[in-house]
Amino acid sequence: MTTFSLLSLLLTLAVTLWSSSVLASSDYHEQLFLQPLPQSSLLASFNFRGNTSQQSFDNQHFRYFPRALGQILQHAHTKELHLRFSTGRWDAESWGPRPWNGSKEGGTGVELWAWIDAADDEEAFARWTTLTQSLSGLFCASLNFVDSTRTTRPVVSFEPTGGHSSTDGLHLLHGILPGEVVCTENLTPFLKLLPCKGKTGISSLFDGHKLFDAAWQSMSVDMRPICPPGGECLVQIEQTVDMVLDIERSKRPRANPIPRPVPNEQLVCDTSKPYNSEDTCYPLEKVTETGWSLMEVFGRSLQGVCPLAGSDGEQSVCLRVPHERSVFTSENALEIKKDDGYTRCFKLDPSSPFDLAVHEQQMNTRVPLEDPILHAERTIVGHGQERGGMRIIFGNPSETAAVDFIYFESLPWFLRPYIHTLQATITGRDGVRREIPASDLVTETFFRPAIDRERGTQLELALSVPAASTVTLTYDFEKAILRYTEYPPDANRGFNVAPAVIRILNTPDSSPVYIRSTSLLLPLPTPDFSMPYNVIILTSTVIALGFGTVFNLLVRRIVSLDEAAALGAQNIKGRILSKLVMIRDMLRPKATKVE
Amino acid sequence: MVDWADGKTCRPVFPLEIHVAAPGMQSSESQHLLRTTQHALDDLNEFAAHHLRLKLTNDTSTAQQSDDSSEVSNNGEEGPDTALTVRLIAQDGLVVPKAELHADTTQLDVFYPPSQVPIPSSSNPPLSVFIAEELQQLYGEEKATVAHILSGEKSGLDSVNPQFAESISRRLRRSMKYADTYHLSFSLFTPGSEPSSWDIEAAVQEYLAPLLHAFAPISNFTVDTQVQLYATFSPMAPPPVYDEAEAAWTLKKEDLSAFVNAAEWPLNPSIGNGPTLNFILYVPAPSQAPMMVKENRAFSWIVPQWGGVFLLNPPLSPADKGSNPAHLSQEYLRPAFMTFSHQLLTLLGTPTTPASLPLRLQTLIRIRAATLLLSASSTMGSLARLTESLPSIPIPATVASSVSTTLSHLSATCSHLRSGRFNDALATARVAETEAERSFFEKSMVGQVYFPDEHKVAVYLPLLGPIGVPLFVGLMKELKRIIAGWKAQRRAAA
Repeated sequence: MTTFSLLSLLLTLAVTLWSSSVLASSDYHEQLFLQPLPQSSLLASFNFRGNTSQQSFDNQHFRYFPRALGQILQHAHTKELHLRFSTGRWDAESWGPRPWNGSKEGGTGVELWAWIDAADDEEAFARWTTLTQSLSGLFCASLNFVDSTRTTRPVVSFEPTGGHSSTDGLHLLHGILPGEVVCTENLTPFLKLLPCKGKTGISSLFDGHKLFDAAWQSMSVDMRPICPPGGECLVQIEQTVDMVLDIERSKRPRANPIPRPVPNEQLVCDTSKPYNSEDTCYPLEKVTETGWSLMEVFGRSLQGVCPLAGSDGEQSVCLRVPHERSVFTSENALEIKKDDGYTRCFKLDPSSPFDLAVHEQQMNTRVPLEDPILHAERTIVGHGQERGGMRIIFGNPSETAAVDFIYFESLPWFLRPYIHTLQATITGRDGVRREIPASDLVTETFFRPAIDRERGTQLELALSVPAASTVTLTYDFEKAILRYTEYPPDANRGFNVAPAVIRILNTPDSSPVYIRSTSLLLPLPTPDFSMPYNVIILTSTVIALGFGTVFNLLVRRIVSLDEAAALGAQNIKGRILSKLVMIRDMLRPKATKVE
Repeated sequence: MVDWADGKTCRPVFPLEIHVAAPGMQSSESQHLLRTTQHALDDLNEFAAHHLRLKLTNDTSTAQQSDDSSEVSNNGEEGPDTALTVRLIAQDGLVVPKAELHADTTQLDVFYPPSQVPIPSSSNPPLSVFIAEELQQLYGEEKATVAHILSGEKSGLDSVNPQFAESISRRLRRSMKYADTYHLSFSLFTPGSEPSSWDIEAAVQEYLAPLLHAFAPISNFTVDTQVQLYATFSPMAPPPVYDEAEAAWTLKKEDLSAFVNAAEWPLNPSIGNGPTLNFILYVPAPSQAPMMVKENRAFSWIVPQWGGVFLLNPPLSPADKGSNPAHLSQEYLRPAFMTFSHQLLTLLGTPTTPASLPLRLQTLIRIRAATLLLSASSTMGSLARLTESLPSIPIPATVASSVSTTLSHLSATCSHLRSGRFNDALATARVAETEAERSFFEKSMVGQVYFPDEHKVAVYLPLLGPIGVPLFVGLMKELKRIIAGWKAQRRAAA
């Protein structure tokens, strides 16, 4: 059986505990989870969760639920919404499994999926368009570009997480914008949705400069109905921000962000090297854990507690370091150590600012990081302007258990895959590559071919990767040639292909685990964009030449030589003119002359 | 269409039917009274488009019934709406007649001393004059408003004093454009964390729902509410100043426009058709309470065509010193919602007189019908001028059908107005206005309008340039030759 990460287990546990205790009434909670990761990185995981009763939501009486978002959802008849803004790449090899099991993150760029209540597909799509356009305005993102070519209807990749009274008439639509650059203009509206607005509580740590400087960050907004058995239905909004900060990078002062070399006297050198001398140094790797504080990493301190955030005794900040590590906090903060040996939480004083400092320290124990359940990697292979290939590599690190998962990708219409070329190779621990029929691994396939300029390709595969082996899937594709006006201004940069979504099925506690691959760049043949102008100018020149000749022929006055002399010799001006005429005639011997 | 815009096709008139019930009089007496009163009214009236027609109903019960039916649209009936019912009641012990308007119905009670019942021979009995003046006064503001609307910017009536005319035009400027549906958005803003909840559902139900119900024939409303904490003032706005004399924090009148921090407060318009009216309940921080407007010690003000603001200074909870209550009960919200109701009436363009709300709403119906009629007509005129000035503009079939719907509804409105059925007139005018706007703002037409000729020139410039240069040089040469020839001629002549 796959060992499951403690981190993700803890987070899931926290979520389940919350959701069970929270369901009673309309309320609001927030929590910050901090964990130093290898390579002097720091994972900061913010979670904000607000409930409102279904009745006041329907009557548009908003308290913890943001009014702007609530009205959009009602207008678009959206019952459940998931919106993700992500940048960067989660380095699963050194950081371990993803926070929230990947269920709170999206592919690079903006990803949106929603369950929409509609009578038929057309109505659902119309409401989806309303939804994307309104959200586009609310979050300052180009979500209005999620058109029919970028919209898919996944069959098995996503399941509703809310308690819907009946799933009939609910349509799942999914759209992704891999090229969207997530930045501060998306954070500001995100903060406005929070009841404490980033003024107090853990949201006061958000600084656009730091957040979008992170190695990886993901913002999510989830809205779902919850209907506890026998109780009143609730509408829940959950917002999370997860980021991995490079501590060294974050600690640089903003006024002087350029990294400086370490002064000579502070360098720790490997003195065993033969070349070690006064001016030659082989720096040793640091053995101590990096020290940091909230103030240094986030650039500001935490402003007390959001007064709406629930009951007394709420521990809004948790830190996961070994208990032997000494942690210094501001006064009035109560530290509670958990039994697992690694986690401690803090109860904050509502009125005073809070800071937390961890000093540089040599550690004997480390917080254990488990292996992810599955490694996945997707690349475009091949060369040339006409064809290419896709290669997806799945690695199962477990020695015992096979991994079953759904592989979902939506490809743009101008990438035309040939599914009959789908091939699989499997590599065991012995390193021998064996080619096997793809049908041995793929248990189910859902394929919806693209229609040019109308919709993209949708491919969902149910796969199983045996234990201790790596599976490589490849297929070929053809690149379409676009129309002249369909190219973006930066056509030679390439076209974004949305990340693939992997949903792992046989997880220990049957909660969903998601992995997303990175997005890809597809170079397409680009035409010479100046061609129309060249054509216009060339044609115009030819016509102008012809016109000039004819015009000259028409307006030239033809006189005999005597007349010309008679015309000219009268005054100085005439003489100069006749000279000029002579010079011109010499220069243009072909011109019409009458002897 | 241009005729409509110029007002040639329809000259809106407002014949108001007023029922007179005189249960205490003989039929001949009341007939005579009616005649003389009508005379007196016609003499007083200087604005022909708006006139009052008296009608005698001796049966009080029918008067009451038609009174009710005037509230709702009487589609089935052919007769005009009853604007007002005047009941003449004899009362002993009075020297001069006295009038009393019911605040919640459309009924005017006139009490008169029995001695003043006009004898059939008298030509100008004092009772008639009194009633006529009373009615004239009752409809004075409406008349001035209608005259103002119909005549455009300049005041329509000469007799209206400029101050009154100014107040009417100010009211019209403040009020929202007419819409089918208004979204009312009530927001609780506070700079701290408290109060964070309010009894809003009950307050809306109790204080606002009856008013909205009364407005049902004119417009529909949606209500949404929100609570926004940590709402700070804009850094550009001047902060409130502590006034020792008042023992209060004061805002200057000219700074009120900067009070609403539009950049940070989430006051985006509601989604869907129709404008949003924002009502802000601002609870100042305990350190800045109480807060008021400096000049007139007011707690509320209207932001024209946008909404209203109310400063609520709740009693600070004594328990822990200087903090706002965490919850605002319905009772606290009462003054705020009374003010909001008043502000809503003003923003919707309801006149300030007379005292009876049903009468004011009827007036509003007439004003709105007139405004819509004029605006739809002028839209039609603009569309006609647009199509004439841009002959190449393609007109889709939908626009053509919208235009014909508009025109038919406009004429229906006009005829409804003429026969005094104002509810129907408003209904048709609403349709006309919507269709007119739809046809004017048709997307495919707008796109065509903005294709400039400069683009074509830019494309052909590489051709026009090389062709133009020899032409220009040739022209210069020719001119030079002509001048030279002309000079030579002169010299020859000399």
